[in-house]
Amino acid sequence: MRHKGERESPQGPSTAVSGAPADMNQLILFNLFNGLIVGAFYALMALGLSLIMNLTGVINFAHGGFLAIGAYLAYSLIPYVGFWGALIIAPLLTAAIGLVVERLLIRRVYGLDPLYSLLLTFGLAFILEDATRLIWGAQAVAYQVPSALTTPLSYDYFFLTGYRLLMVAIAAVVVIALFVILKYTRLGMRIRAGTTDLETVSALGVNTSILRNLNFGLGIYLAGLAGVLAAGQLGLQPTIGSSLIMPSFVSIIIGGLGSLPGTLLGGLLIGVASSLTSVFYPSATEAVMYVLMASVLLVRPRGLLGEEGRF
Amino acid sequence: MDRTTRSLAGFGVDRRTLLKSAAIGVAGVASPFVQTARAAETVRIGLDDTFTGTYAALGKNEMIGAQLAVEQINAKGGILGRPVELLIEDSTSGDAGAAVQKATKLIERDHVNFLLGNVNSALAQAMAQVANSHGVLHVVPGGHTDAITGDNCHWNVFRVCNTTAMETAAVASVLIKNFGKKFYYLIPDYAFGHTLHSGMERAAKPLGGISVGADLVPLGTTDFSSYLIKAQAANPDVIIFFFAGDDMINALKQAVQFGLNRKFHLAGAQQELEALLGLPPEARVGTWVFEWYWNQPGVPHVEEFVAKIRQKTGGHVPTARTWFGYASTWTCALAAETAKSLDAVKMARALQDFHLPPEVALMPNGAFYRAGQNQLIPDLFVGNAREKGPKDPEDLFEVTEVVKGSSVAGTLEETGCKMNWPA
Repeated sequence: MRHKGERESPQGPSTAVSGAPADMNQLILFNLFNGLIVGAFYALMALGLSLIMNLTGVINFAHGGFLAIGAYLAYSLIPYVGFWGALIIAPLLTAAIGLVVERLLIRRVYGLDPLYSLLLTFGLAFILEDATRLIWGAQAVAYQVPSALTTPLSYDYFFLTGYRLLMVAIAAVVVIALFVILKYTRLGMRIRAGTTDLETVSALGVNTSILRNLNFGLGIYLAGLAGVLAAGQLGLQPTIGSSLIMPSFVSIIIGGLGSLPGTLLGGLLIGVASSLTSVFYPSATEAVMYVLMASVLLVRPRGLLGEEGRF
Repeated sequence: MDRTTRSLAGFGVDRRTLLKSAAIGVAGVASPFVQTARAAETVRIGLDDTFTGTYAALGKNEMIGAQLAVEQINAKGGILGRPVELLIEDSTSGDAGAAVQKATKLIERDHVNFLLGNVNSALAQAMAQVANSHGVLHVVPGGHTDAITGDNCHWNVFRVCNTTAMETAAVASVLIKNFGKKFYYLIPDYAFGHTLHSGMERAAKPLGGISVGADLVPLGTTDFSSYLIKAQAANPDVIIFFFAGDDMINALKQAVQFGLNRKFHLAGAQQELEALLGLPPEARVGTWVFEWYWNQPGVPHVEEFVAKIRQKTGGHVPTARTWFGYASTWTCALAAETAKSLDAVKMARALQDFHLPPEVALMPNGAFYRAGQNQLIPDLFVGNAREKGPKDPEDLFEVTEVVKGSSVAGTLEETGCKMNWPA
């Protein structure tokens, strides 16, 4: 490769202006930390996808489209309810849209060959992208984050903004809430039971139609939330979802199909792997997650924490 | 009366309505034949551009410029007295196969006299091959890779937008003079990025420019923090962003969030209004090159152009892309009028050293197609992005210097273009 990160050696101890880490160890440490932040975001997206896949077997290729919808709804709401209001309301609205989509479309492919759900959601992804283009235009829109959040917290080791910290905090809270819901609430228990054996759950008198509907809505809530968070970091235009969907799939495969902790682990892993790769071999930052995925599939096809025999 | 009651009664369609709709249906099916009879009359321009995907906004603006040009051309009597029709096809933003298929369809089935496109350089090159093998005049509005009017130049392919060599040459001296000699490069890992990098190094070296580091960033990267922290550690005078489209928006947004704009100067070779519009105001910073800008006080015809485009877009100003589409389409009309023929070879010959009239060039020093290269040599607008315009919310760029294209275009030999004309 022609352009390795050639640098002239740092000019002695860090100057007052640029107290940035200038040696390899600190660079690695930073990227480890940063990778966890990025990974937390991937995990948030992937968890929604995994939730839907585990209970219903539906591979939701439209997940990125819902992410975009969440982001755009937040953009439209900000003038009325402010940044924080949009952060709360937009994912809920997206989840509501998800409930409607499940009721009208997704429901029809349950129990069929997974290929049907794949084709349906693949087409849905295109429809969602074009819908956002039709409503908000192809031109990227300026998404405004409160300036208090976007100033760097520290110029030294952490190279961290309040916004990134917020992203991690929200992701952590939501993930913990998700696991609490799944473990301690009735809905959560039914989802977990349904993941294992939906027929028996239905035989026990649980309305599985409503269960799948709510589960889908929960997954889409996570996608919408990921979208609102992404909009603060990335340019907001109709294709914002498509660039973020692949890491979600890879997280699930690495972590293991059928395992939510696995998905969380997978997300964090590819976040860290990508960040660390960018230190040594930037061109491979995108490729490394696929290399990881291939390795996992070769060595342990069920995924790191997955159950054997699933899919 | 009778018909209405029967229709309302039970979705019944009566016989007359049925016959009428059948007639319309047959006419619909038969219409290609009808159109063929008309087709001998109209001159057709085929625009094969990106209307979906990541470059959708750019393609759309090129289309708007092209549409305005077609309206004006028809208002003046068309091309050689014949009405002009603009046919529009979506190449998608990255699928060369789709671009080639649409181009082939436009040429073989729709019999277009001219082909326009594409925003994506790789797609533009693929289309150029198709156009060349069919001998159709092809104007590239906004595909930047140097090879289109360089190593891979063709007699029938013309380009309106600048080469990356021209853009970097225009801005290098401004950066070194005002901000310093040490550059850190952030380069998107594809042809566009590579040629911008080599162009900037070539332009900066004689002026004393030094590279303190460079990173090849995969296309479509969403998190730039690891590259930005390396840039900071290298302590340059200027951090150069060679990105385009979404990558540019993401990189700048994050760079400003990390406060890099307060410690270093941010700059690059190519910037577009579409990107600045997509950035939050505080991220609209840096020194850049615009290939055309709408706010040119004192330059004739520009204000009228801006006003007409505002009418078409619901108040939005034209961007460089709008002008690319406009100038490309007018090039087709002017080529035919000058050659007094729609024969591609004659038109291509007529465009050698052809100067665009001021109401098409819309810039202080005019623009012309360099003979032997088919590359438009326009003005380049060097300046700084700003948070908001003093009077207009879309006046986000302050032009500090207009650079004449001829002073940065280099020699014909340097471009590597060797043109082979048909016998």
